Amino acid sequence: MNYTTKKVEDCFDGSRIFEYQFDFTIDSAFIKELGTLGKLEYFKDFPRPFFRIITVKGSQFKGVEGEKSFKAIFTRSDLEKGKEDLENKLECLM
Amino acid sequence: MNNAATSYPKAPGVVDKVSESLSCIPFHPGRSGSKADDPLDRCRILLAEMLGVNDKERIVLTVNSTYALNFATLGFPFHKKDAIITSAAEHNSVLRPLHHLMRSKDLHLEIIPVDTEGRIIQSEYYEKLELLKPRMVVLNHASNVTGAIADVKPLFEAARDMGAVTLLDASQSLGCISFTAESLHADMVAFTGHKSLLGPPGTGGLYVNKNVELEPVIVGGTGIRSDLLFQPEDMPTKLEAGTPSLPAFSGLAAALEWKRDHQGDYTGSNDLVNILEEGIQKIAGITLIKANHPKTPVLSFTMQNWSVEEAAYILQESFGIICRSGLHCAPLIHKNIGTSPYGTVRFSLSAFNTEEEITYVLYALRKLTA
Repeated sequence: MNYTTKKVEDCFDGSRIFEYQFDFTIDSAFIKELGTLGKLEYFKDFPRPFFRIITVKGSQFKGVEGEKSFKAIFTRSDLEKGKEDLENKLECLM
Repeated sequence: MNNAATSYPKAPGVVDKVSESLSCIPFHPGRSGSKADDPLDRCRILLAEMLGVNDKERIVLTVNSTYALNFATLGFPFHKKDAIITSAAEHNSVLRPLHHLMRSKDLHLEIIPVDTEGRIIQSEYYEKLELLKPRMVVLNHASNVTGAIADVKPLFEAARDMGAVTLLDASQSLGCISFTAESLHADMVAFTGHKSLLGPPGTGGLYVNKNVELEPVIVGGTGIRSDLLFQPEDMPTKLEAGTPSLPAFSGLAAALEWKRDHQGDYTGSNDLVNILEEGIQKIAGITLIKANHPKTPVLSFTMQNWSVEEAAYILQESFGIICRSGLHCAPLIHKNIGTSPYGTVRFSLSAFNTEEEITYVLYALRKLTA
């Protein structure tokens, strides 16, 4: 199991958004594990369930169950550490 | 629900014409084949008809509205300290070239604020027009954020009376509402082929009144008169360098023919837009940015419990509803309509949306706010 990371731009200069793309489909078990990085909100009643995880530093990871990617939006103060923590978690999950 | 960005589906026949053109042996328009086979000439004829222009050679074909607006502004013979008036409703395809000119040619750029619907504040406009006597006035015909259609006719008439050249950004309006260049007192009209005209991306154009002389912004091969080392002076060749996309313009010609044969109300006053607007207004937790008629079929809103980025992401990924969020490349309008700094979620309909789709969109919004 592997992943790649891609920086994503949006309307605003200085974006801290990254897309994590996997060679597998994100399922509920993966989402729950990822959820240990912060507060997990899991909207299972949407046609394709949506999840959002908010860390203590305000960074957010969000995506849709059944997709092969999710987005990470880091706060300015959490870009380095937050990214490192996320990627360490992903390494454990791989 | 993102037709203000690009229309989908395209007009019937467009895909076939693009494909057919790609399958044919290429020819050079103007050098071989009859005019009847030339998609560029066909587009010029149909666009001239649409804009009420007598001379089709005054229609310059470009790859999009951005190029058209750049040609109209960067190619205009401004002098240092000249003034330009524009509005806060403008798209970056207007704002950026004008800011570039402000910096590179030391021009005075005056940006008139708009009201909460996205319409220019007329009292301020007339005041600045009188004070600055600008060389050019550039205005958006319809906001891509609120859908508000500006009453540009008196504004442009007054501008011309002051000696200004008038440039209309019709990216959101051509194909949506009927107008002619002269009825709006527009010396130049920039437009795109891939929005309400229902043609392919890679098509657009600029109408240039015969009283306006532009210098070319892009020079190069024209396929004719290659012995000249300078760009030929005749219009439209003067402003058309490089190989145009014949497949794309074949598609646009098909779209323009379909449009000509299917004239109707494509504005925001049609039933579907009304149903959507009324439905959104009934949902607690959503703030609609309301623009009164006349307007295009564009609706912007914000949500209490979701950021605009998140709302659009969920609508697309969870519900399969494609829309757009953010500033919509119109960064200044949001300060005036109360949606700064993050912008809005925007739905933009086309002639092909259905009542079932609107019902589903409202269902999705209710789920999001539950």
